[in-house]
Amino acid sequence: MIFLRRQMPLLITLLAGLVFAAQYYVPHPASEQLLTSVTKWLQIIGGFALILGVSSLFHVHAVKIRRKEAGWGYSFVLYASMLGTIAIGLWANGKEAVDGTITAFGWIYSYMMVPLQGTMFAILAFFIASAAYRSFRARSREAAVLLVAAVIVMMGRVPLGEYILPLSGDVSQWILNVLNASVRRAILIGVSLGTVALSFKIIFGVERSYLGGGKE
Amino acid sequence: MTFAERMLKIDRRIIFLVIGLCTLLPLLNPVGLPIKISPEVRGVYDYIESLPEGSVFLVSLDFDPASKPELQPQSVALLRHAFRKNLRVVAMTLWVTGTGLADQIITQVAREMGKESGKDYVFLGWSPGGTAVIINMGQDLYSAFPADYNGKPTKGLSVLQGITNLRDVNYAISLAAGNPGVEAWYVFGKDKYKFELGGGCTGVMAPGLYPLLRSGQINGLIGGLRGAAEYESLIGQKGKAVAGMDAQSATHLAIIVLVIICNVFYLSLRKAARQQGQSRA
Amino acid sequence: MPSDGGGSLTVIWPPAPYDSKEVRYQILLSDKNGASDPSTFKVVAEFPANTHYIRESKWPWWTRPDAPETHQVTIKNGKGVELKDGKTYHVALAVVSGDVRTFTTVVQAASEPNWINWNQINNLFLALLFGGIVFYAISVAKKREIFLRRIPGLDAVDEAIGRSTELGKPILYLTGAHDMSDPSTIAAAVILGRVAKRAAAYETDLLVPHRDPITMAVCQEITKQAYLEAGKPDLFKEDANFFITTDQFSYTAAVDGIMLRKKPAANFFMGAYFAESLLLTETGASTGAIQIAGTDSDHQLPFFVTTCDYTLIGEELYAASAYLSREPIQVGTLRGQDIGKALILGVLTVGTLLATAGAVLDAQWPQLFLDVFKDVK
Repeated sequence: MIFLRRQMPLLITLLAGLVFAAQYYVPHPASEQLLTSVTKWLQIIGGFALILGVSSLFHVHAVKIRRKEAGWGYSFVLYASMLGTIAIGLWANGKEAVDGTITAFGWIYSYMMVPLQGTMFAILAFFIASAAYRSFRARSREAAVLLVAAVIVMMGRVPLGEYILPLSGDVSQWILNVLNASVRRAILIGVSLGTVALSFKIIFGVERSYLGGGKE
Repeated sequence: MTFAERMLKIDRRIIFLVIGLCTLLPLLNPVGLPIKISPEVRGVYDYIESLPEGSVFLVSLDFDPASKPELQPQSVALLRHAFRKNLRVVAMTLWVTGTGLADQIITQVAREMGKESGKDYVFLGWSPGGTAVIINMGQDLYSAFPADYNGKPTKGLSVLQGITNLRDVNYAISLAAGNPGVEAWYVFGKDKYKFELGGGCTGVMAPGLYPLLRSGQINGLIGGLRGAAEYESLIGQKGKAVAGMDAQSATHLAIIVLVIICNVFYLSLRKAARQQGQSRA
Repeated sequence: MPSDGGGSLTVIWPPAPYDSKEVRYQILLSDKNGASDPSTFKVVAEFPANTHYIRESKWPWWTRPDAPETHQVTIKNGKGVELKDGKTYHVALAVVSGDVRTFTTVVQAASEPNWINWNQINNLFLALLFGGIVFYAISVAKKREIFLRRIPGLDAVDEAIGRSTELGKPILYLTGAHDMSDPSTIAAAVILGRVAKRAAAYETDLLVPHRDPITMAVCQEITKQAYLEAGKPDLFKEDANFFITTDQFSYTAAVDGIMLRKKPAANFFMGAYFAESLLLTETGASTGAIQIAGTDSDHQLPFFVTTCDYTLIGEELYAASAYLSREPIQVGTLRGQDIGKALILGVLTVGTLLATAGAVLDAQWPQLFLDVFKDVK
């Protein structure tokens, strides 16, 4: 059992990791064919992952309803809306519109999902303003530099700002293209080295936390 | 509590109200200030302008309804440009929650420009796997998408004639709100299959993509609503993005004014505290 | 062509004294067996004689087929040309000057796919070098203690936990949007162990809502272990770690609701985040909680920095988890990454100087060093 839960996944990871790391350096059509086959498998597994996600959600909320935990009514709403959307989606064959006429599934998408998602994202605009008011204070020299740069970029990125202060457009472009790009590159290099190091550790079985479970 | 202290601790809802008004009023009474075109947006426009008629233009609408306000105007402007240039448009999405929205956008613009599905454009829809889809398309487009979004087999569509895989694409653009997005299209697409790539993204993501732009990994970048407005100005068809720029201008100005006011009160309080400290000593 | 998957032929020929823009070269191709008359061949490329040199192509020095001043053209599949691997083709060159057309001798060639892309051997070498450095550093870390400077954010972690205990309010800990294959989620899980241990010692409630079921399972084990090490196994609650949903904004709405109802005194945002970051932190700030963030999502850093009391930026998150766990693997990896970064800094400095020298002196020798760090496909 230990072999199946621990040794075998590590062996598969090692072999797959080495093969596909080598694949990058092999231009032969056989190597490209191997990559195509595996990506098709990945797509199939990706489809299964969707099912896994939905079933785990069902399970969590079923437990909540059974135990009548605080907020179990909302779990009921989740069940009803999920099952209802699935049923309507299957009935409409997954299409939001047929010959220009909106289906019931399309109605749910356009009049429930789109506004709800849009609302959540729109809250950001208000939160940015309140966060800026609370935090953009010249508490120190560095904070003052941050404040000035933020004001210049905010002005330079809108037509009104460029109209009031024509130089703000060019200065904000310079800040974005030079200062911002160089710092982002530095962070990107650091994070990429971290990702490469982690990949090596996962392939060679040094890092095993992704398998779950406790320490051995 | 002094006036300055009260102003610094002002109820957030007053700030929300100010922002709400700054967004709503310009939308009702647009001003229409001129928009300066940035080199990164021009990069995308000029490349599409240089493509001969019949070139294959792949547009991946990698966003969901949450990012609709910024990325839909970009999509509409790009599609209008591509259809005007009579390019063969291949549209798709890597985000399952954006499929319906992507279909609405392409159908609407195609109808407006008098283009026919299967002949002038195709919407391939969504396929599971994220970056695996890109790799699969790079080998064989028809195995990644055996049928288009409407169920028509992709092999045999006149718009896809002569196209086997991503190597046959003349220009690809990913309009992305996150991951998978522009970076995934570069790493798993352009880097392997050597097509030219441009990017579009939300305003928040744009600074993070400048390293790719500066190194030439993408040849242009349309960032946020401002980028969409610039593109609309370039194609000479002003739409939602240009209309939204007035609201964005007012909101930015409001935030700047609020920040200046808060710093005035903060510095005055700090000065008063310092003076009080000195007089005690 | 060497180092490719087949389907192409590369034609190379030396420069000539008459090379100029008035003279044109034509590349001629025939797939007929025994073809010997180049005038019957198909013209597959035509260009001015003072163009198409090896120096214009991206050959690194170890795969360059000839001197940089030599002419080179690659015939590829597509645009009216079909090259089948293994089939013999006849290739010739024509020099066109005014009305005069002169042909070279016909050569035979067949395209073949290659098993190794020698252009990328530098990439492989550098990847293996970095991997070697990381494993070496891990082996050193297993034998002796490696110094790690204290991360200032960790003091803030202790302070936040203390504050929660004083106020008698719970601690909220988020592990981010990615799954356990992401370095930031692994780092977040390690820091959770430390936070859980302190929470157990001070008998403070801990709430850990998750976006990924596997991460939840791993964090549950980590929390259980932490309570055990703190000597308070009976205080451990199974449902301290709970799964909400994988959807971005649904998760955010749920966590915002928890913040507003339960009013935790300390919020920890560790791991990878996207657009939901400001929605979470601003709601947390409105409840008056002390907030500490740690993320490698550089596009969300501005939001965390403005709304949180302390932010661990990028690798500080990995360093914090290594510092806390003191596991040789984590510490060694960090040291390996630091060495890698030092190497990159060195290469950038030396490379800039050499590239400048090459441009000023019009010399080619700096390319010997610069090509090693170039990415060529």
